[in-house]
This record gives sequence, structure tokens and C-alpha cells, in this order.
Amino acid sequence: MSMETTASADPSGGVALAPSPSIVKPVTLEGASAPSGQHQLRRNLKRFLIGNKLNLAGLIIVVVFLILAIFGQALSPYDPYAQDITGSKLLPPSLAHPLGTDELGRDLLSRVMTGSRISLQVAAVVLTFAVAFGTLVGSVAGYFGGIVDELLMRFTDMFLAFPALILAIAIAASLGRELYWTMVALATVFWPWYARLVRGQILSIRERDFVTAAESVGLSGPRLLMRHILPNAASVVIIQITLDIGYAILATSSLSFIGLGAQPPSPEWGTMMSTARNYFREAWWYTTFPGLALTLTVFAFNVLGDGLQDALDPRSGRR
Amino acid sequence: MIVRLIVRRLIFLVFVLFGLSLITFGLSHVVPGDPARLMAGPRASKTAVAKIREKYGLDDPLPQQYANYIAGLTRGDLGTSFTTRRPVSEDLKRYLPATLELGLVAFVLSSVIGVPLGVISSVRRDKLPDHIARFVSISGLALPVFWLAIMAQFVFFGKLGWLPDGARLPIGTDPPPQVTGLYTIDSLIAGDWGLFRLSVLHLLMPSVVLAYGSLAVVTRMVRGGMLEVLNQDYIRTARAKGISARSVILGHALKNALLPTVTSLGLEIGLLLSGAFLVEIVFSWPGIGRYAVDAIQRLDYNATMATTLVIALIFVLMNLFVDILYLFLDPRISYS
Repeated sequence: MSMETTASADPSGGVALAPSPSIVKPVTLEGASAPSGQHQLRRNLKRFLIGNKLNLAGLIIVVVFLILAIFGQALSPYDPYAQDITGSKLLPPSLAHPLGTDELGRDLLSRVMTGSRISLQVAAVVLTFAVAFGTLVGSVAGYFGGIVDELLMRFTDMFLAFPALILAIAIAASLGRELYWTMVALATVFWPWYARLVRGQILSIRERDFVTAAESVGLSGPRLLMRHILPNAASVVIIQITLDIGYAILATSSLSFIGLGAQPPSPEWGTMMSTARNYFREAWWYTTFPGLALTLTVFAFNVLGDGLQDALDPRSGRR
Repeated sequence: MIVRLIVRRLIFLVFVLFGLSLITFGLSHVVPGDPARLMAGPRASKTAVAKIREKYGLDDPLPQQYANYIAGLTRGDLGTSFTTRRPVSEDLKRYLPATLELGLVAFVLSSVIGVPLGVISSVRRDKLPDHIARFVSISGLALPVFWLAIMAQFVFFGKLGWLPDGARLPIGTDPPPQVTGLYTIDSLIAGDWGLFRLSVLHLLMPSVVLAYGSLAVVTRMVRGGMLEVLNQDYIRTARAKGISARSVILGHALKNALLPTVTSLGLEIGLLLSGAFLVEIVFSWPGIGRYAVDAIQRLDYNATMATTLVIALIFVLMNLFVDILYLFLDPRISYS
């Protein structure tokens, strides 16, 4: 009776203990569980996109954001840097300028559109470095264990013993007021999470039968790690990346807002709002639209990450 | 066992603080920028700049400067701020209560609203209250707190004129005699109702804006915890015994659902501390966040390092407190 209750409480009850299906094509020896895993994955993806309107909305916003980030400058109606101080200072939204203009007569729509590229670039660079370094530290710690693990993880914990944004502010402030220093600061803040995540994954994957099987046929060392263990940790890392893109973009704008990131005249959203703050009483549109773009983007990545987690990681079983 | 946990964590804390002081010191001294020149002003003579450099020991080799700094720290001496020209410890005493007041009120607000919201949302799952709660918890983590602050300022100060646009009290109003440093409490102690009203009015907008992010975390954790607990056997047993729904939810379920929420307190404190940096800037709130950002922008080493260290200390101690609290609340947990 109690068995039934737990099974019905958890939608994925039956497969809760099965290995989580990996996004990467299974290159492992666990042939038996692969088909049901794939089936589960497909069903979950379908439920993820069609069953949940919020996920769909998130996906659409993310796609729009990506298109803007790649083609934004070409699609924008005006040159985002072109000033017109005589004729179009702080114009409210109109047909000619759908989002209005700023204090130097620049078109806000064009600037907001171009700003998406900066945000995506920063997030991409920051997360590439954070994931690479974090994965390296995490897999070395998880694979070798013992004193190596202890040392590396205590080192990692030191970075986590601090509120992330404030650590980023301290580092960015020390390094200098350039966007690339902001990226360095943010990568420093983000990597420890990946180290911990990957280490945990490796510890649990190592115990699985297919790893034992691989070891029994003589595989070991980097090859075992790279070909068999890490690919199985990929789905969890991908979910984390999706969630972190939003936070990385938010953190970049926050730093820019206090003058530690992109500098004017860059159309970075946080930088724009930092200037716009001085005009908030006469030009509501000036802070509203960059902030709205930022909020929507972060929101969309969060929703998508959350949804992916539900769909790809049956063990999380949060609903 | 608890003693051992505390000792272990305190040893770790020393390492963290040492590491942090090294990082911030190292980084802040390789910056291309001359604080002595900044302090002396753009038109100061070379000798004046050199004098300042000598006075603050800026000519010493870096290891020497660091050793001096650490030696000072052990005596509780955080150095002198280049910009305010007061001892940094004095500055912190002046600005810390403002941040404390802001953070505490935000914390109380987010708990008082977040816990009931999470409970209602889990009980009325997929109904209107649940949709509201989920909107709050998703938007709370996506909304840039500085943007929310500016928008609130625009609406409640700019358009409606209901609330002041910032600061702790109107310009020219004397603060209450300092007891705790929290204006609301101090004005009550002084029995000054007018001042109390003013400080609450000034506190309202910044604290609500700051609370929104952690409100999201609390609501989400409580909702998740409740959903998990509500499906368990002992809840069904309690219901079967004929205990009222109210008593089952508040007495049996909520108690256990709050446990995981306690672990998220650490995250919440981090959110509140970093949120305070941004909120204080927008609302000209004279707290430690604004002080730190000012210090950063003026290359004020001593003030920058002191504020980062103090914030780290607060954060680590709070997290230690949360861990101990958790130990008391859940006897099943042991940290070994």
C-alpha cells in the first residue's frame, strides 16, 4: 500500500533509480537500459514543450534573444551609436522610435537590440571558462579522490564562502573597469559550482555497473574518464549552464550598473540603466525598456533551465 | 559534537578570511592607479603626493604592507580610509547599522509573506494562489533588483509622491540618539513618534524592493517542501484520524516542510547582502554597500578590503549559525 503511494506521488517513480538519460548519445556499455532511457527522454521532451506553456514561452524568448544577439545590429532600425542632440533628445516612444530615444538622441530600440549581443557574448565567455576550469578541477578531484580531492575541494569551498556578486564586485574592482575584467571576475565566481557539480556526478557515476564493466576490460585513466564517465555527467552540466546563462547576464548588468563592467557609450543594458537613472523622472521609457529586456531574458533562461531539469533529470522529480 | 562542528568551521573561517585578505590585497595593489595622487587631488604638488604616500606606507614593499595590514587586523585596526580620512572601523560602525536595519526588515518581510504564500500555494495547487506564488518565485530571481528599485522610485516617488525617494531621513532631520543604530528602534526608545514615522516611511521602499528576491526563494522552498510532505503517509494518517485540515497543514506538514527552508537561509543571506549593494546605491541609503562602492570607485584600498572582509565574516558566521540551527531542528542530521 505504501509502495503504491510513493509510486503515484512521483511521476517517474518506476525509473527513479535508473540512470539518468544522457543528452549525449550513449557511448557507454549500458546497452540494456539505453532504449527505455531514450524513450523516456523523448516523452519528457514532448511534455516539456507542449505540456507546459511557460516552458514554451521561455523557449520563444530565448530564441528571439539569440536571433537579436546574432543579427541585432543588422536588424536594428538605426545606428545604436548615432547621436542626434538637436532634434531627438529624450523623445517618448513613437512610430519613428518605438522605444523612444536617450539623452543623446540615440534610438533606444536599436540600442536594446544591440545590447543583447554583449550580454550573450559575456555569458558565453564566462561560462566557457567556468565550465572548462570547473570540470577540470571537479573531475580530477572526483576521479583521484583522497588527499587530491580534499585539497581541491577545500580550495573550491573558499570561493563559495562568499556571496557571489560581492566577490565578483571585489575582483572586478581590483582588476579594472573593462568588460573583459568583468568576465574574468564572473568566471572566478562561477567555476566553483561546476567543480562541485562535476565532482559529485563523477563520484556517483563511478559506482555504476558500466564503469565497473569498462574497468574490468582494462580501461582506466583519462580514457575512462573522458569517454565513459564525463559524457554521462553532461546532462546535469547542461541544465546548470542553461540556468547560469541568466544569472551571468544579470550579474554582468549589475556590475555594469555600478560602473564596473561595460562603459558608456556601450549599449550594455546595465550601463544604459546606470545613465538612465538620472533621467527617470522625465523619461520613464529610458530605464524601463533595457530593464524589461534584461528581466525577460533572465526569466526565459531560468524557466528553460527549470523545465529542462524536470524533463531530463527524472530523479529531481520536483513536481 | 556541536562544539567540534563549530571549532572546525571556525578554523575554516580563519583560512577563508586569510585567503580573502590575500586575494583582495593582492588584486587591489596591482591596479594601475595611484591612491596617493587621487587623495591629494589633481593639482597637488609632487612633494604633497610623496608625503601622503609616506604617511600611509604606500612606498613600502608589498609584503611589508601586507604584514602591516594583518598586524593591524589582529589589533582590530582596519586602517584609515583615504577618502573619509577616518579609521575604517569607525566608518563601519557608522554605516553597518543602516545596512543591518534594511536587511533585517527585508528578511522579516520576506519570511512573513513568503511562508504563508508557499503554504497556500501548495494547498491550493494549480489554482489562482499557486499561479501567483509561482509568478513571484520565478520573477523574483529574474528581476534585476536595481531596476525594480528605480521603477519603484519612479512610481511611488515620481508619479504618486507617496514615499520619499531615498536616504534614511529627510535632509536636515537629526537622527535619534544612537543606541542600536537602527533609526526605527532608536526613535521608539527616544519616544519620538514623528521620527519613527519618518524612518519607517524612508525604510519602506528600499526594504520591500530588497525583500522581493528572497521572498522568491522562501516561497519556492516552502512550496516545494510542503508538496513533498503533503504526499507522505503520516499526513494521510493524520487526516484519516479526523484531524482538521488546518491543524494537519499547520501542525503536521509545515513543521517538516520548513526544515529544507532553513538550509536556503544561507542563500537568502547572500541575496540580501549583495542586493543591499545595489539597493543602497539607488536609494542613497548610507549603508555599507554604498560605502564599499564609493571606496571601490575611489581606489580606497583600506575601506574596500575592510568592507569585503566584514561582509565575508557576516556571511560565513550566518551560515555557521544556520548549520547549527539545522542540527537542533533535525536530530537525524549529523555533521561528521
